[in-house]
Amino acid sequence: MSGRDSSDRASASVRIQAIGLVSRVDPAVGGRTLTEGYLAQPIIMARGSVLGGAVSGILTLDFEGLTLDRGQLTPGAYGEGYVDRRHPHTYLHEGLAVFSGAFRRTGVSLAGGKGFAAFGTDDPMMRPFASYPANHHLAQILERYVIVGAVRRGRFIAEASVFNGDEPLGPGVPPDASRFGDSWSLRGTLAAPFGLELQGSYASVASPELVTGDGLDQRKWSAAARLDRPAGPVRYALVEWATTDAMSGDVLTNRFTSFLAEASADVKPVTLALRYESTTRPEEERLLDPFRTSRSPTDLSIIGVTRWQTVTGAVSTSHRLGTLDLFPFAEVAYSRPNETLTPSAFVPEDFYGASSLWMLSAGVRVGFGPRHQRMGRYGVAMPNATSGAHAAVGHSGH
Amino acid sequence: MPRGGFTFSSLISMHRFVRFARFARLSRSARRACRTSFAGLALTSVVLSGCGSDSATGLRPFTGPALSVVGKGSMTARYMAEVWTRGNIAYTSTWGTRSANGVLAVGNAVHIWRINGAAPVLADSLIVENATTLGDIQVSDDGTLLVVATERQNGSIVIYGLTDPLKPTRITRYQTANTTNGVHTAEVARVNGTLYAFLSVDPPNARLVIVDLTDPANPREVLTRIMGSPFIHDVYVRDGLLFTALWNDGTTIWDIGGGGKGGSPSNPVQIGNVRTAAWSASAGGIFAHNVRWFQDATGGANAKRFMFVGEEAPGAGSVLNSSNGDIHVVDIADMAAPKEVAFYHVDGAGTHNFSVDEQRGILYAAYYNAGVRAIDIRGDLSSCSADQKSADGRCDLRKMGRQLAGGLQSNGDVFVWGVHFDGNYLYASDMYQGLWKLAAADR
Repeated sequence: MSGRDSSDRASASVRIQAIGLVSRVDPAVGGRTLTEGYLAQPIIMARGSVLGGAVSGILTLDFEGLTLDRGQLTPGAYGEGYVDRRHPHTYLHEGLAVFSGAFRRTGVSLAGGKGFAAFGTDDPMMRPFASYPANHHLAQILERYVIVGAVRRGRFIAEASVFNGDEPLGPGVPPDASRFGDSWSLRGTLAAPFGLELQGSYASVASPELVTGDGLDQRKWSAAARLDRPAGPVRYALVEWATTDAMSGDVLTNRFTSFLAEASADVKPVTLALRYESTTRPEEERLLDPFRTSRSPTDLSIIGVTRWQTVTGAVSTSHRLGTLDLFPFAEVAYSRPNETLTPSAFVPEDFYGASSLWMLSAGVRVGFGPRHQRMGRYGVAMPNATSGAHAAVGHSGH
Repeated sequence: MPRGGFTFSSLISMHRFVRFARFARLSRSARRACRTSFAGLALTSVVLSGCGSDSATGLRPFTGPALSVVGKGSMTARYMAEVWTRGNIAYTSTWGTRSANGVLAVGNAVHIWRINGAAPVLADSLIVENATTLGDIQVSDDGTLLVVATERQNGSIVIYGLTDPLKPTRITRYQTANTTNGVHTAEVARVNGTLYAFLSVDPPNARLVIVDLTDPANPREVLTRIMGSPFIHDVYVRDGLLFTALWNDGTTIWDIGGGGKGGSPSNPVQIGNVRTAAWSASAGGIFAHNVRWFQDATGGANAKRFMFVGEEAPGAGSVLNSSNGDIHVVDIADMAAPKEVAFYHVDGAGTHNFSVDEQRGILYAAYYNAGVRAIDIRGDLSSCSADQKSADGRCDLRKMGRQLAGGLQSNGDVFVWGVHFDGNYLYASDMYQGLWKLAAADR
């Protein structure tokens, strides 16, 4: 759904999309194989602008809190009280006002609301896999009260943001407004020719896990190269490195690192995608539900560090059914987790009952409305925007 | 779907991986992980990500008199936690989830040990349903009750009768909206003749809950008060005074019936607070974890002068792998203005729970990866020579020659959670291996 007024000074569009899928993980925990079905990533994305784009609004509603309360089986995933299941996101995924302008040949923008801090790479929701990578909490900072200022001159983009450090407590729980401004980030981007983009970013995040503060702080770095082209056999690729230092004051307690490479290619009539990831994950004491950890960690909550090496392959096709976009897909992921510290209170092979884990997923992405651009950048900080629609809905398939 | 059916063919030779891992000072398992990496992609990722973080803790070999091992009761099915003894029986709690070959054993067990022989012998065990961690355990001063804390979900205390100390019988499980976040520690103490349980409850809104155990079948809450930053961790109660370890808010002394300020368990009145130093100036907190008021049985001017605060700071690694934090000695001669005067530090390790031999003036401290340490705490701990002081003027107990002995550090992988001195022997609860029985330290 989209519209544009006759003076071409206002526009609006809405897209609705979701993924219906079935996943089988072997073993999921304790030697047990689990097969589950989900309605994942049910979102409504609305974008609108007036005054020729000088003022725009971004709204993304995510209804996973209603459909994914138990979490989505994803070996290696962690965060916000979930482990080996991806957590549901908050209902208000993004809600920002963006003011953009230009002075001479320099573009500037200021975005404020709830959304992504200027750090790292794009939301995995807008990338070519239904399953999230394990590095989600290393490579993105999202669902915060945030103000992002951006300056663009030629191919260079600089961003700075301030935000609240606390991670969401649940889908319907807003950030702690009193903590706004306790965290900040910087990101520099080069929008190179031929759809190539390079970014480097740094973030200082105060006590993300202990929402009342006084927990471990994080210092985060990210560097990535991204390819996004409107044509050609390989139309999308991403190589990223991310690291997070967990700090007690100025004392480094743990360093978590990630390397990820992914790409998708059109091999008519299908689209193929491949991802490799090597990410270290903090392990915390599990609750009665072995896929959950405490949101109020006390003492020293990290009981181990696990390196997850995962290869994920996906195949999809593209169809139209009336006004609906349909992308049937299948994904297979193979993971090998190993403890990086010894002795460790968490030994993956003992915990899972196997040295490696498989996940097989099949389903269909369904979308209605024009595809939107990438998620996680605002205003003039969106490089290569004209081709961004390619990756915006995951698989290209077009 | 097959398990482990994926064949790896490393594009580089194995020894290069190992050399790289050694260069990076990686752990044994990290090197294994490197060897099983995904071919060329793995090499790239290893180079870029360093293949894991280093776990070097800086713990040095202990040199000095050793606390000799009398025996060990092995427990490797679950991770051990706290220990308490009474007579010939020891009770230990369990923590977290331990797994082997895909079989998960959560910390929902209380183990009951006979300790009259050289080695503790497991006699029986109790399982607390709907629990994953039993962090704290204690027998009441009259020996009639065993109180066990349950943490994380379904926070509560479980109260057992000890008519037969080897066969505790459950009286009740006390769980309310004020405890359900998780009871991290539970101290059982008597105030003016009445038995209470003092519960340190996890965040959010971490709080102290005090429960009257006069009728153990019907515990009665007399106080709930939010305190601590970010939480209250532990308390100590003696002579009508309450000492609360409040993490980054330091340690507070309260009158609850013996301090002359009109306080009571239902209305604690603050007397004083002290923020002890951190083990490192850049540690980012002071981590007041546990507290003990020493009363020297031999009397003297310093008999009731010193309070000991344990600091539990994050180590460079994870729980069961590393630790940090000192023992802080606080002069409480003026309880309204407590002042830290001394400390004890171990490089590469941090302290945990204490037990004190008040007859001989020895503090035993669980020291996680450093095992156990015994420290002479008799006399004036605030007086030392200039070369025995740290830069900030506190006395260093080690430089004062007050370190009497150490134990268990060289007994394989140890991570000692708690110690309990029963008048003759020291019992140490080692999360990895089980219950150790050690000879007392020589003075």
